[in-house]
Amino acid sequence: MNEPVVVRGLTKTFYDESRGEVRAVQAIDFECRAGEIFGLLGANGAGKTTTLRMLSTILAPTAGSAALLGYDIVRDPGRVRQCLGFYSASTALYPKLTARETIEFFARINQLPEKKVPGRVDYLIERFGITTYAGARVDRLSTGMKQKVSIARTIAHDPPILIFDEPTVGLDVLNALELQNMIRELRGQGKTILFSTHIMSEAEKLCDRIAIIHNGRILACDTLANLRMSTGMHYLEDIFVHYVKGQA
Amino acid sequence: MNGRSVRILFLHEAKMLLRDRRTIFLAFFLPLITVPLILYAMRAMETRRKRGLEELTYRYAVVGSAAETLRALIDQQRRAGPPRPLRKNPHDSREPEFRFHEVPASDPEQALRSREIHFYISALNGTEADALQPKDARDDSEEPGRASTEKKPDTGVLKAPSRPPGLPLARIFYLADRDDSRSGRTKMREFLAGAVRTQRNRLLRESGLPLDPAAVFAVEETSTASVAQATGSQIGKFLTPFLIMFILSGGSIVALDIIAGEKERGSLETLLTTAASRAEIVAAKQLAILSVALCILFIQVGNILVYINFKIIELPEDWIIEVTPLAAVTLVLLFLPVSVFLSAVLLMISAYAKSYKEAQLYFFPVYLVSMVPAVASVLPGISLRSAIALVPIANVSVAAREVLVGKFDWLMLLLTFAVTSWSALAMMRASTRMLSLERLITTSDLDIADLSGGPALFSRQVLAWYAVMGALLLVAALNLPQVQTFRGQLLFNELAVFLGCALLMIWKYRLNIRDALALRPVNPLVWPAVLLLIPSGALVGVGVFRLANLVFPVPESVLEQFSQEIFPAGIPWWQMVFFIAVLPGICEEIAFRGTLLYGLHRRFRPVALTLMVGIIFGLFHVALFRIIPTAYVGVVLTALALLTGSIFPGMLLHAGNNAWAFYLSGSQIAVSKLHWSWYLAAAAVFAAGFYLIYRVRTPYPGLRTGRRSGNK
Repeated sequence: MNEPVVVRGLTKTFYDESRGEVRAVQAIDFECRAGEIFGLLGANGAGKTTTLRMLSTILAPTAGSAALLGYDIVRDPGRVRQCLGFYSASTALYPKLTARETIEFFARINQLPEKKVPGRVDYLIERFGITTYAGARVDRLSTGMKQKVSIARTIAHDPPILIFDEPTVGLDVLNALELQNMIRELRGQGKTILFSTHIMSEAEKLCDRIAIIHNGRILACDTLANLRMSTGMHYLEDIFVHYVKGQA
Repeated sequence: MNGRSVRILFLHEAKMLLRDRRTIFLAFFLPLITVPLILYAMRAMETRRKRGLEELTYRYAVVGSAAETLRALIDQQRRAGPPRPLRKNPHDSREPEFRFHEVPASDPEQALRSREIHFYISALNGTEADALQPKDARDDSEEPGRASTEKKPDTGVLKAPSRPPGLPLARIFYLADRDDSRSGRTKMREFLAGAVRTQRNRLLRESGLPLDPAAVFAVEETSTASVAQATGSQIGKFLTPFLIMFILSGGSIVALDIIAGEKERGSLETLLTTAASRAEIVAAKQLAILSVALCILFIQVGNILVYINFKIIELPEDWIIEVTPLAAVTLVLLFLPVSVFLSAVLLMISAYAKSYKEAQLYFFPVYLVSMVPAVASVLPGISLRSAIALVPIANVSVAAREVLVGKFDWLMLLLTFAVTSWSALAMMRASTRMLSLERLITTSDLDIADLSGGPALFSRQVLAWYAVMGALLLVAALNLPQVQTFRGQLLFNELAVFLGCALLMIWKYRLNIRDALALRPVNPLVWPAVLLLIPSGALVGVGVFRLANLVFPVPESVLEQFSQEIFPAGIPWWQMVFFIAVLPGICEEIAFRGTLLYGLHRRFRPVALTLMVGIIFGLFHVALFRIIPTAYVGVVLTALALLTGSIFPGMLLHAGNNAWAFYLSGSQIAVSKLHWSWYLAAAAVFAAGFYLIYRVRTPYPGLRTGRRSGNK
């Protein structure tokens, strides 16, 4: 139980008026190690986002447990969120704040000590190259600029664990590549990164270990090399189809 | 709760609000400019209108067999000089002038319609007037509201309360929808009243009466309440509705966007993944709403005070406003939890809605519903020492009125404060819980119900439908004279609102009518059991009401007035049974144990479902003191529907219960004064009836029994 992220038997059941009981995530287990990018690879509706939302304490699990840096997601959600940065393509920024104010707000609300806030904000503004538009309101920024501000606000409080939920959805190729580079750099700083995607090439390039998730179950979880070895297939796409069809 | 987080979030909200220049201008500055302009324009128009009516010479015609007699009377009075009004305004030193001009009119009705004349008088001799008498008597017994809805011109009949046979009659015909016609009618009526008085005095003198008839008895009136108390009573009636109006409209400026807008923009999920807890987020957002609401409240109140100071708004001259420091502090302490409660309600709307537009949709019915308890202070005979103390907002409304007349019932004031504070906290907790509902947080996801519509979407929207239905009932009852009569109100409520909306919901959401209305057969043993429940359940209901009345008494006068309204005299018994028992038994069951129960049955577990449907049923019976007894009936009927899986037993029980109540109202049996043993015996029979139904139960299908998914 020393790994930064430990998930045991995590289950999520929704009650949907039209479908009745829906088991979105079914007793999944995995761990993420420090300094690695752990990928959750699955099709739309596989349970990736539900899993990550449970880990970020947005949703409550129906059963099972998960701990981030030893803090239980149910018993200690505040501490969990404090050590976590969550980035998703569907989340947005506050349009009326400037880039600087956005980073400051998220640093403060995530309990970064007040005296460290100015220095940290200056560092991030310089690091992400947003100095020229740091005083501009977010609603006047381009998509690429907003993306940089979003990542800066995600790591504003310097969290040891980062969750990226389908971060490149809606981005053009250049912005997607820049984002991937930033994620690699964050791994290099020793961050533990959970990365969900349905894009095979992205998982191949970025992830140290990959969990294939389908219908709320993890079908396989290993390094790409080991997955290739155990299936005898080279391309991740084929490996993915192999496991999904095997389950069906 | 971390105070630093709340402060950061609050400042964050404030910063974003202050940067929204358009909102700031519309919410803060525009009212400062427009309200005085509107008031000034209204005042100028009113002054001009009054002056115009005052200086107008009214054209009229006189017709009828006694026209000459009436003309002579008018002429004598005109020559005698201006009449002495019965109740002359002591501040008005002007003598009224004779500003009437008779014009010939062969067809006075047509002349009136074509605006050639302002009114006409039909002067009837005694015999003709006597012939009219029975019709007049019938007109007098009509229900309130009927006269104003007549298409024919309203008649201002100059007559004594009991006109002796043979006395001539002057009937003034005018158009109630025309200002000048109405004003002319009033002036002529006063003129003729003066003429009649002058003639009467002359006749009395001629018959040898030694005294001036006006000096038979001098009458004076003195209020034992001080002027300040009388003023306080008047202000107290309208203080709460005004303040609530300002708080709600002011708070809504920021509230509707504060969560719904964040959901729409996708920033809520970002916020929920920060170290701030749900409670901290709710507290900060609520604080922001409260600050804006109070800020706008103070601006508007200050605005009004300025207008009063500059006499743009004129208060009655005999008003003396005295608010002691104790009263001021008490009022602030009473209204503070109300402000928190209302801002929590606004926050909840915002949390429940998926978008800003949806939040706007919910705001109007909530606004109307909030205004209902706010006007409790104008109810006759209501004191704080009653069930009203338990109703949030209504209790403060009554308490504020009592405080302003100098009555400090500390125990009840404390209870009022506690109830309102508790309600505010409960509402805040509900908002916090709402921020944990997955469906409400993750609006960006595709939603099958939203896409496909149908029953799944219906269960989600059913409460909004009933909120709109409640608002519809209220608006119609207040504004449409046609639904202010006994028959009109029942037909509108039962057929148009309950039955009509239920059928509309079934059509719109493509519901299976058999499932939606629970049209299912039941075990035959249920019927005799329901027959047992009718009298026993009614008696138990009276017992429940008496128990509540021990703690929070409802004034006898209110009950009597209500009894007269619900069981009006002069309606045939078979019509009463139809209107009171059959119609509600069918239509209300279709609306409440039909569509409402169907819409909610998968969302709540049986106990909560029974209470919820029962309470909503009670809330639809508007009168505050009826909520507990009607909610009790609603709970019983819902439990019956859940046990039998059918709407039919409830229809029989509902109709039987109402018919039984009507029968008892006309009998000599005083059910509200029976010995307690009667109620206990009734409770035993009632329990036996329900036990029998339980033994042969055929439960409502698809009830929710599983564990709810948790939140944090």
